[in-house]
Amino acid sequence: MNEAKKAADYRSELKPIWCPGCGDFGFLNAMYKALEELQLDPANTVVCSGIGCSSRISGYVKAYSFNGIHGRVLPFASGVKMSRPETTVIAVGGDGDGFSIGAGHIGHAARKNINITYVVLDNNIYGLTKGQASPTTPLGVRTKTTYYGNMGTTFNPVRMLIAYKASFVARTFSGDPKHIQKILVEAVRHPGFAFIEVLSPCVTFRGQDQYKILRERVRYLDESYNPENEVEAFDIANDENMLALGVIYKKIRPTYDEIIQQNVISKAKAASNGVAKIDKLLEQFQP
Amino acid sequence: MSKVLIKGNEAVVRGALLAGCKNFFGYPITPASEIAEAAAYYFPLLGGTFLQAESEIGAINMVYGAASSPFRCMTASSSPGISLKMEGISYIAGAELPCVIIDIMRGGPGLGNIAPEQADYNQIVKGGGHGNYRLITLAPNSAQEMCDLTMLAFELSDKYRNPAVVLADGIIGQMMEPVEFPEPVQVIPERPWALKGSADSHNLVCSIELEPDRLEEHNRKLQEKYAGISRQEIRCETIHCEDAEHIFIGYGVVSRILHSVVESLRAEGIKAGLLRPITLFPFPAPQIEHFAASKKLRSFFVCELSAGQMVDDVRLAVNGRKPVHLHTRMGGNVPSVKEIVETFKASL
Repeated sequence: MNEAKKAADYRSELKPIWCPGCGDFGFLNAMYKALEELQLDPANTVVCSGIGCSSRISGYVKAYSFNGIHGRVLPFASGVKMSRPETTVIAVGGDGDGFSIGAGHIGHAARKNINITYVVLDNNIYGLTKGQASPTTPLGVRTKTTYYGNMGTTFNPVRMLIAYKASFVARTFSGDPKHIQKILVEAVRHPGFAFIEVLSPCVTFRGQDQYKILRERVRYLDESYNPENEVEAFDIANDENMLALGVIYKKIRPTYDEIIQQNVISKAKAASNGVAKIDKLLEQFQP
Repeated sequence: MSKVLIKGNEAVVRGALLAGCKNFFGYPITPASEIAEAAAYYFPLLGGTFLQAESEIGAINMVYGAASSPFRCMTASSSPGISLKMEGISYIAGAELPCVIIDIMRGGPGLGNIAPEQADYNQIVKGGGHGNYRLITLAPNSAQEMCDLTMLAFELSDKYRNPAVVLADGIIGQMMEPVEFPEPVQVIPERPWALKGSADSHNLVCSIELEPDRLEEHNRKLQEKYAGISRQEIRCETIHCEDAEHIFIGYGVVSRILHSVVESLRAEGIKAGLLRPITLFPFPAPQIEHFAASKKLRSFFVCELSAGQMVDDVRLAVNGRKPVHLHTRMGGNVPSVKEIVETFKASL
């Protein structure tokens, strides 16, 4: 434990089986490096995922890994964090897992400010099931379930997360692993619910030109940008032509754990002159 | 500790705390809400967690996450909410994680109503989710047992690394009775596999096995575990059964009505007995088989607050050796002693 860990120490014995050229490789390599930079103890690091191509990541990181149910990564990441607050919990999933079947959970993990990092590797398609439309598939795009062109407009995840009052909202890009590493380190260090959208091309079902298209559509937020201004953050999120990369919104507020500590446990200890005792407490409840 | 007059639903929460449960994830639903309400008060005070999830699906997945920690965890709901949890329950059983689920059954199908029923028997005991899994199922018939069987559910769940369900009808959840609370559990079994820092392990919690032979092997291992539970953990109560010519079978609130039926028939000179399953899985089939083989016994009489679900298991155990009669009420109706006695006499 005393020796410094290297990125390779966070590699599990499983080899990724993503398609060659998948954007998720860029994120995974950056994640190993971020874990090295953070020097996280694998035994107290939890990588959770649901189901999808990107959700395979929990198997590829040497940590305590959790491969759960499609769309439910945030509830079980919350369950782990509530039960073991001292662990670092990183939830990873895709746009189908997070914004379609699991969309109902995001706002609640965000508003409760549960101290976890949630990374969505957004490839605008269902990859594992081989190419159906997802909530971020662009309008008009033809997929295996949108023969006549996608008829719905796309989710704007960054705008959605700012609206949900997530305390940290960032966007990064698989084509720039150094940037991913920087953002992921900052997100893990952020005290509260941190959301990262990673633009992570699916070259198999969205085309080989996705990297080129995205490179022309991204821009970096400069140093002078203040992410604490919610109105400005919305303006940046609203620009769907040029996608801003960086920390778009950030607001420090108490986490769910901290609120429990402040509102409940300290009072219980004061009332019982030390550690709360079960038999004394059992007499108190009046519904 | 002296006796306290308390609702069955609150007795569950106290039982859970006495069993050392640390984490509760819930969602409001009548007639189970008092469980979440009491948990919201007690759990944080004892250094644990209460979290009101965004949905039943959220709650069971929080349980899935927390069940991989060294601490005991639970959720509670009522019939439609339990239906929503089914996918998660199948995954937890597949991943072999311990947790306790409380089901305070109400009327169905669909929205039904909030009155008591026992129509979740099939979805809990037979497995409402996908795959070959079983849930340890305990059926209390008093507020006292709501506490005691919740504690037992935690014990069995840890022992077998399997979800355990306390299956109670709405009456048992809502009824107030004096309860004597046992001493808190002092030692909670170690969970060497749990998330607590094992220096160089790559722990992966999942329920996936892509290779058919390995998944079949996993299934066979699960079936062996369930067979062991069936051999070891049957609990049932019998009253006046040894010389009985007619045995009444029912669980939950029905067993209390049937007890009165049996006593009233005995007063008339009819040799009636009561067999009350306390565990629904494992089902007390050997006990029923024993009586079915008896020359004295003439018939079984099953009563349920459903269209007749447990009766299938009774019939399998009796295996045609004796007649099995069935009396059912649904929609929140509960049979009277008089009504059951009349139906019984008509069956003779």
